[in-house]
Amino acid sequence: MITYSVKRLLSGAALLAVLSVITFFALRLGTQGVAQQIAGQSAGPEAVALIEERYGLDRPLAQQFLSWAASALTGDLGRSWFTGQPVTEAVLSRLAVTVNLAVGSVALTGALGVLLGALAATRRGWPDRLVQVLSVLGQAVPGFVLAVGLVLLFAVQLRWFPATGYTDPSDSVGGWIRSLTLPVLALAVGSVGGVAQQVRGSMLDVLRRDHVRTLRSRGLPRRRVLYRYVLRNAAGPALSVLGLQFVIILSAAVVVEQVFSIPGLGPVALTSTARGDAPLVMGVVLVTGALVVLVNLLVDLLQAFLNPKVRLS
Amino acid sequence: MKPSPLHALAVTLAALLPLTACSNGSGSDSEQPEELVVGMPVDLTTWAAADAAWGNEALYHQAVYDTLLRTDAQGGVEPGLATEWSYDESMTRLTLELREGVTFSDGTAFDAEVAVQNLLRFRDGASENAANLSSVVEAEAVDADTVELTLDAPDPALLTYLSHNAGLQASPETFDAEDAQVRPVGSGPYVLDEEATVVSSRYVFTAREDYWDPEVQLYPKITMQYYPDATAMLNAVKGGQVNVTNLHSSSQAADAESAGYDVHLSPVNWKGLILADRGGEVEEAVGDVRVRQAINHALDREALLDAMDHGYGEPTAQIFGPDSEAYAEALDDAYPYDPDRARELLEEAGYPDGITLVQPQTSFTPASEFELIAGMLAESGIDVEAEHVGSTFIGDLLGGAWPTFRFALNQEPLPWMTYRLAIAPDSAWNVYDVEDPTVEKLAERMRLGGEDGAAASRELNEYLVEQAWFAPFYRLQGIVVTDGSTDATHKVGYAMPNLWDIVPVS
Repeated sequence: MITYSVKRLLSGAALLAVLSVITFFALRLGTQGVAQQIAGQSAGPEAVALIEERYGLDRPLAQQFLSWAASALTGDLGRSWFTGQPVTEAVLSRLAVTVNLAVGSVALTGALGVLLGALAATRRGWPDRLVQVLSVLGQAVPGFVLAVGLVLLFAVQLRWFPATGYTDPSDSVGGWIRSLTLPVLALAVGSVGGVAQQVRGSMLDVLRRDHVRTLRSRGLPRRRVLYRYVLRNAAGPALSVLGLQFVIILSAAVVVEQVFSIPGLGPVALTSTARGDAPLVMGVVLVTGALVVLVNLLVDLLQAFLNPKVRLS
Repeated sequence: MKPSPLHALAVTLAALLPLTACSNGSGSDSEQPEELVVGMPVDLTTWAAADAAWGNEALYHQAVYDTLLRTDAQGGVEPGLATEWSYDESMTRLTLELREGVTFSDGTAFDAEVAVQNLLRFRDGASENAANLSSVVEAEAVDADTVELTLDAPDPALLTYLSHNAGLQASPETFDAEDAQVRPVGSGPYVLDEEATVVSSRYVFTAREDYWDPEVQLYPKITMQYYPDATAMLNAVKGGQVNVTNLHSSSQAADAESAGYDVHLSPVNWKGLILADRGGEVEEAVGDVRVRQAINHALDREALLDAMDHGYGEPTAQIFGPDSEAYAEALDDAYPYDPDRARELLEEAGYPDGITLVQPQTSFTPASEFELIAGMLAESGIDVEAEHVGSTFIGDLLGGAWPTFRFALNQEPLPWMTYRLAIAPDSAWNVYDVEDPTVEKLAERMRLGGEDGAAASRELNEYLVEQAWFAPFYRLQGIVVTDGSTDATHKVGYAMPNLWDIVPVS
């Protein structure tokens, strides 16, 4: 398992290196007039030249990239060209907020998905139909539409939750729950149906297998068979879907954070890309890329833990 | 009875609500709110005073920095860190007497030497307004409390500039600090609470003790929440999360009003076309005054105002606002909508089949608005082709890539500021550096100020309208909304009030 993990981490590092090169050149070649933007729309040529010199924008692109890469390898991702904030500080402080949001959404998606999927597989009837409807709705309704609807109902009309903003749990646990409830719902609702479908399908598949029939014929209680043997065997595919959902939710969070004005990675990613703030964009790409690599590795290791027959190679 | 899953969900929500049912804290029921929450439509560019921007960012700076002078809501110059000021007879030597006993929040003392360094650093820095101090050739600390500025020529806007970013005073300890962009050290009424601040999202300020002007410290705590998204801003207003804000768009005003906010209107920008290539350098047709006048006659300004900004503005053909000495009411209607007259002028100019202009379609102009303007101009024989550009087109635009383009520029309170912004040969928005002897003669008179300077500014306005340097659509109203606990006095020519003009309603 250790060899496997090391290999996966090394391939992840290589992936991040390729991602860095592509992102840097795509961004710098696709964004003109960054120095003018930094200096301001009415800035004269002297101010713009000063900015170019200050940030090395007057050097060839390859030289700029090598300079960035050399610093990045020492752990220094530089400072944002626009705000002057150290990139590591900007990204990590906001990563915590986005991870809060993503983990909350994945946990809610997992809990509701497994519950509904198991109900649909074992009871059929209305839970089964609910899962089908949720699955279709989840794919049909964009997250930001749902987010706006939730805000209008629960924040503007009922005033149960704040319409925007984020409260750190260290300031107020109640405030933290309130600030995350609507965004988490907006992100999770679209995914619950998909996970429930996956759990339902896997459970139905396992329920039809010979060993389950044997266990039942030996007189084991139905509940024990379901939760100890069927659900555990069906958990593998569901876990894969949840891992994928984490990545999807991470992308969807970009828009949802914007709608709820949550200071996560989403607004930073959008603003820095639109401005052409290369150091910050590179930081966001590196950190989110590393996060995705780690989550995928974690899902694989969990798969092996839940089902020893899964080979890690 | 067995509980259903929906019942279980309802019970869970009901159990969560008590946990969560606390105030969202944008105000309080007491007479003097403990906190002011300001919704900001723009982020702060930098805290470094030498590179600072102004306009929509002014509130951030007014919280932590003092300026040498201040301007009130009507644009009148008032004492700031300088208590007295006077020019010599030639209007090229300005003497400023400084306030004594002022310290920065890091304990460093403010004196004339520090003021001189701040002024020179701004003049030579990377702010978009660095040119506002370009007339200053020398700055000298005469003694600990006196600064003398020597100008290469009279500058009637200098005192106002010293009440903006050009007059910001930062502690000398920050001059070469690596974190100067994110850690401000000023002598202003508030200090930035770095623990509670999230850069590019939320900026929190707490009142300084022993500040020299406690009358401007109207709240113990101020939070400036940046909303990059117009929908999020409106939701925050509807949810009662901000006390005061400048709305992203006029289309949101009705929603804010129905949410119980007071709406304050004041003309801020003029929106329209900048007919930049007046010399016909790139597009020969634009160099002909008759073509430029034809463009002006081709615009149905009332219709554009209703369609693009819901009537929140006033149609005009001049770039000077009603608060400016150069303003003349009659010029608002100098070019009535008249497609026939526009065609006649094009024919007289030698373009009987009309002309074709290429204009950038930018993030400032939604496609629907671009099509509306293009359709209107086409009725008079002026075809417009769209060139799609990204959000970083400003550099190309200022470099003269397009002979005409749509933009919105500030209606400055002083005519000289408008001249420096968009008319002078070296100004940013005279993108082809067009120099007109008549304009320059009038500018020389404006420099000296007084009654003749005011008369010259009115003559300049008339001349620019007659020569059709621009094709304004309308003066756009800036929209500031305040909740029931807050009042605000609009500042002439600016989108947001002075920080100290946002007051609690007792």
